[in-house]
Amino acid sequence: MATKKKRTQNVQNNNWVVIAADSSIDSQKHDSEPAFVRLRNPSTDATSLYMLSSGDVQLFEVKAFEEDFHSWFVGQTVQRDGRLLFVTPMDPLYLIMPYLIKSGKEGKFQPVDQVVVDEEFPACSRLLRCTRSLASLHHIAEEKEVGKQRFHQYSHEKTMNWLKKKVERTVGLLKGRNISVGERVKSTTYIRVKSESDYHDEDYLRYAHGLISEYLSEDLSKALLKHLQLPELTSPKETEPPSKKRKLSDKPVEAEEDYTKFNSADFARKPPKKMTAAQKSLAKADKTGMKTMFSFFSPKAKAEKK
Amino acid sequence: MDLSPFETDNSVSCRLASEIPDVCRTEDCCLGIDEAGRGPVLGPMVYGICFCPVSKKQELKDSKVADSKTLTEAERENLFQKLDEARSYVGWALQVLSPNTISTSMLQRTKYNLNALSHDTAIGLVQYALDSGVQLKEVFVDTVGPAEKYEDKLSKLFPGIDVTVRPKADSLFPIVSAASICAKVARDRIVKGWNFAEDLGDVDTDYGSGYPNDPKTKAWLLKYLDPVFGYPQFVRFSWSTAQTLMDSKGVTVHWDDEDEDGEKAAQRQNNKSMLAYFSASAGGNDQNPTHQTHRFFTERRLKSLDTL
Repeated sequence: MATKKKRTQNVQNNNWVVIAADSSIDSQKHDSEPAFVRLRNPSTDATSLYMLSSGDVQLFEVKAFEEDFHSWFVGQTVQRDGRLLFVTPMDPLYLIMPYLIKSGKEGKFQPVDQVVVDEEFPACSRLLRCTRSLASLHHIAEEKEVGKQRFHQYSHEKTMNWLKKKVERTVGLLKGRNISVGERVKSTTYIRVKSESDYHDEDYLRYAHGLISEYLSEDLSKALLKHLQLPELTSPKETEPPSKKRKLSDKPVEAEEDYTKFNSADFARKPPKKMTAAQKSLAKADKTGMKTMFSFFSPKAKAEKK
Repeated sequence: MDLSPFETDNSVSCRLASEIPDVCRTEDCCLGIDEAGRGPVLGPMVYGICFCPVSKKQELKDSKVADSKTLTEAERENLFQKLDEARSYVGWALQVLSPNTISTSMLQRTKYNLNALSHDTAIGLVQYALDSGVQLKEVFVDTVGPAEKYEDKLSKLFPGIDVTVRPKADSLFPIVSAASICAKVARDRIVKGWNFAEDLGDVDTDYGSGYPNDPKTKAWLLKYLDPVFGYPQFVRFSWSTAQTLMDSKGVTVHWDDEDEDGEKAAQRQNNKSMLAYFSASAGGNDQNPTHQTHRFFTERRLKSLDTL
């Protein structure tokens, strides 16, 4: 019972349990299948998984619900990977933005298909095919049309205004969904008599900013914080008191408690012994109504006398 | 004995009882408690009570009921028949604890051991007799665990009733023998005609005595081990015999109330090694150590993926 079970590495499998909108896998209208693609995550700059619907019409981000000790029963099979994948729509502009910012530093108007290129993630050019991409570029860039070609240049001011709108819309959603945004941890089963009115608007704003920042680089996130006129939170490290207390007087320091009692002979404190696995499992067992070990050694006559 | 109430759903605990003889409601009665099927890894554990007026004790003794273990199956059936014929003054009641009940009790988060389960079942049956109007004066019990403690417990619960708890009570008091016969007969019949809830096709019913040391039982357990599900509900999962086999032959299953220790567990729980705190940010492997996922996602256990 107390044997240690070994954890074997997850075996690669080709099944996932996914929640996705029907529209994301609708491949009727277009020739290509919906596909998972690996793109640069704007916040971490590392690889993240996304999905493009058929014909690259729409972009989706992929999030996984992952907790220990979960498995799936799927039809007549068991899947040890208890993950639940969520494929949810996402604004492609967040992923295009880093490329525009990078080229914006050159201070030139450029055609976007020359800007959104990445040797590491060649799939990024497919982002421009999304229906929302080109139509919404004006939110974050200045546009110029010469002949039939369009040129773009990143605009910080426009971006900030656009992001502010995103934050405000998120605040609206957070309020509508009753999502707890306060600093204190709140149990979902705890019912407040008062409504959530004691949350300040700043709490909501900060929470929404944090959520949007999941899709922004660190610099952009800080700039947005300023734009929203939220003060930066000081990290706890800076507010910590100096590690040593200064002496207030020159008098000799005296102990407040008498610790000599611990030195006396009758004070014998033994360090807690480490229990073996068997002892541990025994400690956990329900022993009510069981005989003690000693009862097996006591003379039998005692029991019969009664 | 009509076992159909249990057989319709053999995954739960079930009470079967005879009619209460009229004399038992008016005259002072004695009651015996015994169990059958404590040790086997297969099948239910059956708790039985038998009661009759104190004045009829001699008649019960004359019918030569004896400890069920000393009797053959045919003799037990015979004696049960006799008890049934004496229904004008002998009553009985049984609590059938299905193997599934035993497994789930013993293996749940807050452990509920077989002794505690036994005591509570016995208490439940005595209470049933009282509730049915049986005029109890004496109760005789075959002990489970330390006899004195058990006797104290029962005396406190049922004040005014003379409780006697003895080891081997089934050979000392005829009323306990009678209870043991009822219990044993019921268990034998249930095990023989077990309806498997699982779709096992033609089940090999040659599982021997059901005791862990019976080679036939062992062979049967080996044969019906499913790597994923373990056993049909007929098997007590909490028995170490079954557990050892499942551990060695089945797929490993982890539950979140099992505590692991050692380095691997620490790694899984994202515990940092003590040393990590001293090697002041000497460049972790993380690509972006400053990046912290927003709590909206961490609270919901949501993660970004980089690969499927």
